[in-house]
Order: sequence, then C-alpha cells, then structure tokens
Amino acid sequence: MRSANGSRRRLFWRRALWSLVWPRRRDRIQATVSGAVLIGLSLGIGTAAYNSASNILFIALSLLLACLLLSGVLSWLNLRRVRWALDIQPPLRVGQDAEVGLLLHNGKRFLPTYALWFEFAAAPFSKGEPAKPETTLTAKGIDVWAALKQAEAGTSSGSVHLRARLDPGGEARLDWGFVPSRRGLHKIELRSVGSLYPFGFLRKVSGTELCREVHVWPAPVDYRRLAASGSRRPSGDLQLARTGNEGEMMALRRYEAGDSHRLVHWKASARTRRLMVRQFSAQNSEACSMWLRTDSVVWSRPEQFELMLSFAATLALDLFHAGRLQAAAIDGSAPVPIRRVADLESFLDRLSEASPSPAPGGGAPTQASPGRARQNMLTFEPEGARGVASFINGYRTAAT
Amino acid sequence: MDTGRPRLSLEELHLLRWLLGGVLMLLSIATVFYMDVGSEVMTVLAMAGVLVALARPALPARIPVWAHRLAFPAILMFFLGDLWHEGQLLPAVVRLDILLLLYRGVSHRARRDDLQIVVLGLFLIVVAGVLTVSLLFAAQILVFTACALGLLMVVTITASAEGGQAPKLAVRGVVPGWAAHADWGHLARRLRQVAEWRLVASALALFVGVVALSGLLFLAIPRFQLENSLFLERFVPRKAMTGFSDSIKFGDISEIIEDNGVAFDVDLSDPAQAPATPYWRMVVLDEYRNGGFKLSSPMRSPDIMGKERTASYYIPTLRGVPGAPTWTFYLESGVSRYLPLLGRFVVLRFRDAQNFRYSPYLGLMALRDEPATMTAYRVEGMAPDTPGLADSLFAARWRNREVRRGVPLQLELDLPFAPDKATLAGLTADIGARGLDAAAFAQKANAWLQRLHGYSLSPRIPPGPGDPLVRWMASREPGHCELFAGAFVLAARSAGFPARVVTGFKGGTWNAYSGNYTVRNSDAHAWAEIWDARRGAWLRDDPLAPVVSEALEKKGDAALAALMDRSWSARLNSIRVFWYRRIVNFDQQSQVDTIRAVKAATDSSGKWLRAAVAGAASRVKAWFAGPWNLERAGRVAAVAAAAGALLWALLTGRIRLAALVASRKADPVRREAGHWLRRLEGPPPLIADLQRLRFGHSGTWPRPADVFRRARRAPPSSRRVPGGASRSTS
Repeated sequence: MRSANGSRRRLFWRRALWSLVWPRRRDRIQATVSGAVLIGLSLGIGTAAYNSASNILFIALSLLLACLLLSGVLSWLNLRRVRWALDIQPPLRVGQDAEVGLLLHNGKRFLPTYALWFEFAAAPFSKGEPAKPETTLTAKGIDVWAALKQAEAGTSSGSVHLRARLDPGGEARLDWGFVPSRRGLHKIELRSVGSLYPFGFLRKVSGTELCREVHVWPAPVDYRRLAASGSRRPSGDLQLARTGNEGEMMALRRYEAGDSHRLVHWKASARTRRLMVRQFSAQNSEACSMWLRTDSVVWSRPEQFELMLSFAATLALDLFHAGRLQAAAIDGSAPVPIRRVADLESFLDRLSEASPSPAPGGGAPTQASPGRARQNMLTFEPEGARGVASFINGYRTAAT
Repeated sequence: MDTGRPRLSLEELHLLRWLLGGVLMLLSIATVFYMDVGSEVMTVLAMAGVLVALARPALPARIPVWAHRLAFPAILMFFLGDLWHEGQLLPAVVRLDILLLLYRGVSHRARRDDLQIVVLGLFLIVVAGVLTVSLLFAAQILVFTACALGLLMVVTITASAEGGQAPKLAVRGVVPGWAAHADWGHLARRLRQVAEWRLVASALALFVGVVALSGLLFLAIPRFQLENSLFLERFVPRKAMTGFSDSIKFGDISEIIEDNGVAFDVDLSDPAQAPATPYWRMVVLDEYRNGGFKLSSPMRSPDIMGKERTASYYIPTLRGVPGAPTWTFYLESGVSRYLPLLGRFVVLRFRDAQNFRYSPYLGLMALRDEPATMTAYRVEGMAPDTPGLADSLFAARWRNREVRRGVPLQLELDLPFAPDKATLAGLTADIGARGLDAAAFAQKANAWLQRLHGYSLSPRIPPGPGDPLVRWMASREPGHCELFAGAFVLAARSAGFPARVVTGFKGGTWNAYSGNYTVRNSDAHAWAEIWDARRGAWLRDDPLAPVVSEALEKKGDAALAALMDRSWSARLNSIRVFWYRRIVNFDQQSQVDTIRAVKAATDSSGKWLRAAVAGAASRVKAWFAGPWNLERAGRVAAVAAAAGALLWALLTGRIRLAALVASRKADPVRREAGHWLRRLEGPPPLIADLQRLRFGHSGTWPRPADVFRRARRAPPSSRRVPGGASRSTS
C-alpha cells in the first residue's frame, strides 16, 4: 500500500509537471490587459537593464517576475481544495426558466477563496455514436465557423460569479438560470472555473468534467377543451364516475392547489420534504390511454410535430393530475401504465426524445391495455396546416 | 454556510481601493523630491491635490465635466511646451507623469485607471532609483510593491463582487455611493474586524517570500557586459561641487567642509595595509592667476591627459605594487567628475564602459561627464603618493628647463602688482631657502607658515592693493587649508622650486560595522606638492599637518584604531555600503563569485559531513573491536532485544506514534478504504464494509485484504462516473 501511495505521489508530480508542458483540454491561461502591461513592462525594464547594466533595473525586473510567480501561487492556492457539485431540480421544460445550482465547498483550513467564476453550458445531445472527426485543414475558414456555429446552436451558456468570499470550511450555492429552447436530452455541464485572482494579471480558466444529463420536456401549450366527449362509459361503472379518492391507493403525487387536505400523505411528505397526496385507483369511467403516433407521413411539418409533442405532454400532465391517465404508448411500443409520478416522468422523458419515425407508425400498441382504457384511446391528428387536435375513440376532444 | 466572519461591503471595498490608489500616488510623487529635476513646486501641489482628494472622496465629483474633457489636451500641451522651452526630455516626462498622476488622483477612477496609477508610479520610482542609486529606492520600491499588489487584489475582488461586469468608466460629475458616505474611521474599524491574524500572517509571509524570491532572481539573472551604457542619467544635467573642478577660488573648499554628507566610501581588500591618514588626490592645480589656482591648458592637452573609453583601464608601463590591496571606491554623485585616488595604479575597472581622461604624470583621472549617480570603480596595484609621485615627463622637462616649449615649469608667479614680487621675495628670504633641497625647504616653509598663521575656517584677508594671497602671507591672520597650500606654492616658486596645489580629501573614518573608509565632505582638503629634482618626484606637503616620516606613519590595525567609527551614523552608513557592495555594484564577476562561494560552502559542508560519518564509523568499528565478555555481550543482547520488541510493536500496530494516531488519514488501511469509497457506488454490503474500514473502530474491522479484493472485483457498473459528482482541483 505504501508503494501505491508512493507511485500516486510520483504520478501527481508527473502530472503537475506535464501539465505545464501540455495543459489539459479546456485549461487556458490568458494575459489580461494588466498582465500584458506587466509583461511589456518586464520586457522593457529587462532590455533597459541589460543595456545599462543598472542593478536598480535588475531589481525592478526581479520584483516584477517575483510578482508574476506570486500571482501563480496565490491563484493555485485560491482554487486548491475547492469542491463543487451540480444540483439540478427537474423537471425542465422548453420555454420555462430552469435553475442549475452549484454547491461549493472550500476545504482549506484557513485560507478563503475569492473571485471565481463558473461557466455553464446546456446543450442538447443524443446518445448515439459520436460524430466522426473531420479535418478542418481543407475547409475554408467560413465553413469552419459555420460548422462551429451550427454545433453551438441550441446551446445555452452563461457564467456565474462568486461575489462574496468563500470562507475556509464554508459552503455556498450559486444559481445559474437558462431557458431551454429545445426538448430532448440535454447535457448540463460546468465547463470551466475561472479566476482573475489575485492581481488580475492572468485569466486562468480550468476545465472541469462535471456534467449532468437531464431531460427537457416539451413546452406546455394552451389548448381548447371541446364540449363533446368521446369517452364511453361502461354500464357497470357509472356509479364510480367521479375522480375521487376511493378504491385502492395507486400512487403518490405532489400536492396541488385544490387537493383535499385529507389526501395528504404525511409520512411521505416528511420523507420527501414535499407535500405529497395519495392517489387512488378509483374506477374512473373517464380514464384514458394515450397513444402517440409519430409517422413522418402524418407529421410532415416539423413544427406541427413539435406542437403535437407539447400538446401531448401538457395533456398527459393534466390528465394525470386529474387521475384520468391510465397508460401511454408511443408508436408500436407496449403501453406503459401510468400509476405513479415516476411513470409519468418516464413517459415524458421518452416524449422529449421522440422524433418522427420514417416508417408508418404501425398499428395499435403491441400489448393489450386494460380494456376500459383501450376503449378510451387518446390519439392526435394534425388539424389544418399548423394545429393539432386530440381524439378519444375518434371523437375530437381538444385542440390547440 | 456562513462562518460568521465579517466581510467588507462593496462600498468599503471601493473606499479601500481609493485609499490604496492615493497612497500609491503620494509615494511615487514623493520620489521627485530627490530626483533633482527642478519640479519641487509642482510636486508639492500635486501631493496636496491628491491628499485632499484622498481625504474627501466626494470632492472630485465637483470638477465640471468640461474640465475632464480638457484635461488630457491641456496636459499634452503642457508637456510639449515644457519640452520645447526647457529642452530636457527626462524632466519633461517626469513632470508629465506627475500631472497624469494628479489627474488620476483627483478624479474617480475606473478599474483600468488604477492600472495606470501603478504603471505611472512605477515609472517615477524606477527613474528615481536609477538616477540616485539610493538606498531609499530599496525601501520605496518594497512599500510601493506591497501597496500596488494590495490595490490590484482589491480591484480584482471588487470586480468579482460586482459580478464580473465589464469595466465601467466613472460617471463624471456624479458622486458614487461609496464616496458620498466615506468614513475613514469606520473603514479602519471594519478592516480591524475583517483582518484575521492567520490571514495577515500569511500575507506577510507571502510578501517576505516575494522579496526573498526577487532577491534570488536578482542573483540568478544572467549578466552580460554589453559595453553599451545608456542611460537616464544622461538626460539630467548635474553640477559638481565647485571645490573639485579644475579651478578653485579661495574659500571653495571651506564651503564643502561645512557639509557633513558622505562624499565616498572605500573598500579595502586588506585592512592591514590601511594608511592612517590617506590623502585622496582629485585635482592638481598648477597655474596661479588672479587670486585663484587652476589646471593649466597645457596640462589638459591630450598629450598629458589622454581620452579613453573603456570599462577596464590598464597602464602596462607601470608595474604593480607587490601585494598591494584592491581598493573599491563608491563615489557619491555631485562630488566631482575627478575621481579620488591615492596615487598611480595599474588597473582601474568601472562597472561599465566610461568616457574619461587620465594623466599618469599628474596621477589624475576625470570622467567626461559629471556622474549623476553613485560611481563605483575598483583600483588594483595603487601606489600611494608617499614617498613621492614620480614624474618622468616633468623630470625631462626640468632637465631641459632652458627650452621654452613643453609643459609648464610650474615656477610661474603671475603677480601683476609689482610690489607683490618684492614682498614675496622678502617673505621667502625669511624662510631661509638658500642651499636647501625641496624636502628641507618644505619643512622650513611649513614651520614658518604655522608660526605666523593659525587655522580658521573663517579667515580674514587684509584689505589692500595687490595679490590677496601675498597680503595674507604678509599678515598674521589665520587661514584655511587653501590659503596655507597656496602660500606654500607661492613661496616655493619664489624660492625656485616647482610647486602646485592639490585638492581632494584627507583622512576619513573607518566604519567598524562594514569595514570600510567613509570619507565625508567635511574631510575636503587642499595641500601642495613640491618638485624634488633629486628624486625626480613630486613630494606631498601639507602645511597644516605635522611632519611624520613614512617609517613612523601607522598602518593597519594601529592606524584604523584611531579612525574607528562606532556611532549610529556608522551603523546606518554600513547599510548603504552593503547596498552599494552587494546590490548596486553586483555584476558578472560578483555573480561568479557568489556561485563560487555557494560551491565552496557546499564543498565544505560535504567534507564536514563525510568526516562526521567517517568518524562515527570508526567509533563504531572501534567499539566492535573492543574486548568482549559475557557481561558486555549480555548487555548488548538485552538492548537489541528491547529495540527489536519496540520495532515489532510499532510495526504490528500495538504501539502507535502519536503523530500517526492524530490523523486517521495516516492509517494506510483507512486511506485505501477512502480511496475505494470515492470510486465505488455499490454494492451496498461492500460499501458498508469499506465505510467500516474507513471510519469504524479498528476492533470491528472485517479483514481488510478481503474487502479490498472484493472492491477490485466490483463490476464496472458499480463504479462512479468520473466527474459525475464532484471534483477537487489540485
């Protein structure tokens, strides 16, 4: 074990020395205006010192160089033993403010940390194969810039400054807000940590690999409910027609304004530190299953497809809160029962990643859903050139 | 988590920034006082302006906007006008710098303006340092550096506290919030609250580290002799003290004597050869005209005083004095362009190439320009002017004295008032020169002068017609060294002996702390030289000094005991000498010497260590070789068994050293467990075992080797994603 420690120590020094020659990716050190002035002054004074053999100038030169070295040491000390972690609270939805928290901890014993900034970025990405590298040697400059611009499209980025001193052993939380512009899987990363500390000579930026993958759900949309309801009511269930709090408890969900206080599940609320209410599997004659078809033939307009997904997500949330969503399926996949919040979130995650399928989105879901739900099948169709309408059992029930 | 320690608010940070900037400006403007560029009034006004604005930060907002618009054009016009009118670049640039600093001092500053202050202030400090080579520069640049670093740090923290916004220009005519409620007392209290002793100690330690590091860099920066001296001092005209130019009037040296400042310091490589009363020759004055002595034109001709430009001047025709010490002179600026020397020399080295004139016959060396800074030079093989300064040129001239051409015979008496010659002849007859050689005449002349005249720094020359020196000789008035030397020269020439006046310094003190001669302006002196045809040399004659034969003159410790100075002034002066020796005079040779000294110290340490090891080994060997018996063997076995038991107990953990127990991290098992806990997320039983190894009491540990084996075999899915949770910088 001792040899392992020894080798680790050697590795540390090797890395530290090697990083001077070949800095890590994203690590940058740039001279600021002050730094450029200092370097220029050093060069000027050094030239004058050699020309005049004046030791006064050599003293000034050595002091300037020592200050540069001190700047590096203080900058290193400032960042040393500072830990950070991302804290992101889903859900994130397109067009809505999203908040990314950064938890900071200064692990130093008596030196505080000052003047850091953190650069965040949130970019959509897919879990497919990474793109092959392409050479830029033969490309024109304008093409490279265009490619880079395209790669950055949809990426939200920003920075947050540590405004106050972070005391030794202290913790702090910084929040960065952004508005997702696209649905799907996003990678939220802390790209780098920067500092001008202590004297502002050098802009030191250290890349980090801290990132989190989160789903951004489709944007909520406004829709119109239509009076005619197409849901069929089986004769034996009429007495249980209301969405009530009877029957077997099905799931827990978050409290919403208007929920009865008697439905609050106090133990779960205490555990999760959120007010949770019980949801019962009351036999609901108005419960329905959602089935999304993503045929590119049907949804030939991309904006209409996006609207459909947003509409579906909005409806799914509303129906779940009303206790009327039994199951959901996309194209030919098996319908997933929506009993708990986690089921709904899983469905919305899938929804956020949905894309128009090239082949006609074959038939009904592969597995049979509960009979009643299959009868109340909620589907979506384009309405006109821009709109989307929902249908239950072929009856138009809502539209955007 | 808030640790409860107070923090400076944004307004307090701005106020601190204002304070540090103001101090920086005052510090740098103050250097102009000893720069001698003739800007004293402007300096005082600028400092007053900055001081008022510093004390009342709201005042700058009252400056109208149009004044700000006109400020830079006006400053530029002033600079151009100054340059055109005075025709001196450096003083004009210094005044421009003062005005720019004043403007920055009386206006609210943005972040980049603070940087301007640092640059402008640094310029003033460095220029002052180069021009004066003063020890004060060292103190000043250290304080300046501390303030500048503090200012830049506060600027960085303030910018971060403002959210890293782009630098904003201060809005003219509007009082910033921090300036409107400026309260220096409150700021001082807040700073006292915020300052924590550990932070202050760290800051001090870092600053000391910076100074030490810059010292090391100063020693390590490679030096090259480029033989291409600039520099700033050329842009500032200087005036030498009139007593040490090539012409003097009576009373000039007396004025110098009233100044007690240091004229030069001299290091001597072998103090055992230190003379008790050195005569530092500077100027030889051979022509007497109109009541004053001067160096005659023929003596200044290139044949006599050759022009040179070099850093090391060799005189191959003169042989070195065997065992002669090396003398290193540190001549202060403003003393003279003539360098003080004891006599002729073999080698004279400057720090860099100099333009100078040297006459081996006169034993004089004069720089072309008045040095604006301290001038250091090293002289090897220097022969003092006792028993006499041999002069082959004058000897040849004296042999052919009938010929009118050539160097002056130095017998001339330019006394236009006819009765003066008769008076002088009568006085010389009183001395009784008939049949005497030069040395005997000098002795009698000295006695005659001392009998008639006393010594006084405030002499009175009797009024009347004719030459003043002859009048003084004929009177019984007291006089100073110039009158005595001049009277001796006139008497000697009247008696037929060539003679001349020499000015320079006599004596000095021996600094007990730094071990060097310190010669002050109050040691300025004038004496005479008389030609001894028999020896073919110029003999020094000081009419004011008692006659001491060379054999009786003290040297070495005996000489220094009389000159020893242990006063506080000597202590302070020793710091200045250190500054000159080790800093200002540090050159390529010093660098090599330093490296050699380090090497020698390393070698001697290595030798000492090797000797110590060898001694210890021989003692152990002797101990083993000693006679063994049962009792001794038993004692050794008992000690060995006790040591073995102790080692076993330590190795097996039965006894732990306090230092190891103090930190759980020091335990390798706990450290390894911590390492795995950082890497693994599951499975839970393994995590529980690792946590027990990491944090639990050692008595409850599972077998560590088994747990670590399981950890190594844990499936990849249970490993943490790198960077997924947190990261610590290194």
